[in-house]
Amino acid sequence: MELIIAIFIGLMFSCGVYLILRRSIVKVILGIFVLSNAANLIIFLAGGITKSEVAFIPHGEQTLDPALINDPVAQVLVIKSIVIGLGIAAYILALKYRYFEVTGTHDLDSLKNTDQR
Amino acid sequence: MILLAHILLPFTYILLALLIKKASIKSRLAVLFATFNLLWALALLPIVQFKDIIVVQVGGWAAPYGISLVADRFSVFMLIMTAIVFFLVTIYATQSVDKARRKSGHFFFTFGILMGVNGSFIAGDIFNLYVWYEVMLMSSFILMSLGGERAQMEGSIKYLILNLISALFFVSGVGLLYGNLGTLNMADLSAIISEKSHMLTHLNPALILMVVSFAIKGALVPFFFWLPASYHTPPPAVSALLAGLLTKVGIYSLIRFYTLFLYHDAPFWNQLILWMGVLSMVIGVFAASSQFDFRKILSFHIISQVGYVVIGLGFYTVSGIAAAIFFLAHNMLSKTNAFLVAGWVKRQKGTLNLKTLGEVYKESPVWGVLFFISAFSLAGLPPLSGFIGKYLIIKAGIEANYIVVALIALFVGLFTLFSMVKIWLEVFWKDVPKDRVVKIPEKKRKSQYMLTASIIMAILIVAMGLWAQPIVTYCEQAAVDLLNPELYIDRVLNFSR
Repeated sequence: MELIIAIFIGLMFSCGVYLILRRSIVKVILGIFVLSNAANLIIFLAGGITKSEVAFIPHGEQTLDPALINDPVAQVLVIKSIVIGLGIAAYILALKYRYFEVTGTHDLDSLKNTDQR
Repeated sequence: MILLAHILLPFTYILLALLIKKASIKSRLAVLFATFNLLWALALLPIVQFKDIIVVQVGGWAAPYGISLVADRFSVFMLIMTAIVFFLVTIYATQSVDKARRKSGHFFFTFGILMGVNGSFIAGDIFNLYVWYEVMLMSSFILMSLGGERAQMEGSIKYLILNLISALFFVSGVGLLYGNLGTLNMADLSAIISEKSHMLTHLNPALILMVVSFAIKGALVPFFFWLPASYHTPPPAVSALLAGLLTKVGIYSLIRFYTLFLYHDAPFWNQLILWMGVLSMVIGVFAASSQFDFRKILSFHIISQVGYVVIGLGFYTVSGIAAAIFFLAHNMLSKTNAFLVAGWVKRQKGTLNLKTLGEVYKESPVWGVLFFISAFSLAGLPPLSGFIGKYLIIKAGIEANYIVVALIALFVGLFTLFSMVKIWLEVFWKDVPKDRVVKIPEKKRKSQYMLTASIIMAILIVAMGLWAQPIVTYCEQAAVDLLNPELYIDRVLNFSR
């Protein structure tokens, strides 16, 4: 299972890199989304994939055998980074929309006015 | 609990700013909170200097499991410099930033930056560091585009995409590191790595991803391209704040990582870091010399000066790291002040193109002198702070037997001087070109707060050069702490209360 997910992450990274090399800003933004999900999956995979219980201590007990549960920290980290990714996604799309309103273009090549020459 | 105030103060302001509508009250409240933040940072100084490292375990969970906030001498020094820069830029911004922007949340997001920067300086956990990075970056993205001018849009799209890529590198590195070692607490990681020295090459993929991410944030060669493409687009008060704080956080994290983890594999990392620093120094200064825009020259200089800090780290001696810390602090002040002067010129003349400017010194000798102080501090002329910083770095390089690097640093100083003289001559000294018609705003607007902020900063720059001895001693103590991470590890892991 881990191998399959690892290969899948690799595929997602290559899709993301392909997309951020495109000329259209929208595709670049989509590439960022794909890449950020691939990075989240890496953390998810770091916790290990096992068939196990949810990491809750049952009612009335004090401890829980660690062998029974999956590593909850990795999942917490993934949730946090998904939430951050969501905020960034909302902002970047709003920025793109505003940029389109100001300039009327999707083309990355029209972004060279502020570059160093 | 004492460290949490650095996060809660900005956060309180953010909450209050949501309730207030009037721009003038928002500005006053911002100055008030920036003062509190400064006082609080200064209050931490005697504790770390005379007592011990401050450790706070948030929520009471013990070290490797909970979130640790740690402040040692280096962190507190950075907190104080951040607080000073932030305080002065806030005073400056109350007048420099236009009312529409102040009303629509300029201070709101600058406090977001403050919260992120403070948080990254005291984070004792890698994932926590990543979260503070995101807080800081989100606020800076919005500040960068607030106002919605065309140039701002272009700048912020580039800034956004390249910084998001750096965040992705960081998250991937965090994932790989966690998969390998099962912990993200920096002290715990450092302890584990020093026990299992054979795992080092195993960890390199994760560490390289993170170092690349710091290098993008810190604008080191070859990852600096976002910086000069975006820093000249937002309002001057914003670019002063970003120039003063953001790249320094990347370099701070690099120093922290180097002294906690990377030094175990010194043969691999040392040369890499050192030559990255040298290249940043040289390429930054050459690119700066060829520019014809006030703020673009200064932006490229950030790259060059970050290089100085990194070579100080690359020497990896007490004097080298002490010099790096001192230089970081000096650069925060001098660079920000140079941007503040640029902001005033932009306000008076409506442009920052060197070819159309001139005679500013005749118009306002005070601002001329302020620019002179900060620019020649950047170039490293005695008795200003930059002289001490460069002297310490070059001396450390010669002591550590990196003669070539030290000579390159000297040589770069010459070019820094050249481009500073270029701004001085073009903006402040030469006659206004006759053939270039410039639209000058008819009514001269008041700028007394801007002037106050800039004067205080210039006084601090001079003071830092004249009374450098206590600061250098403090930096050396901080460097000794950094070079002996056992104390840091012990305090974090054996924290008991």
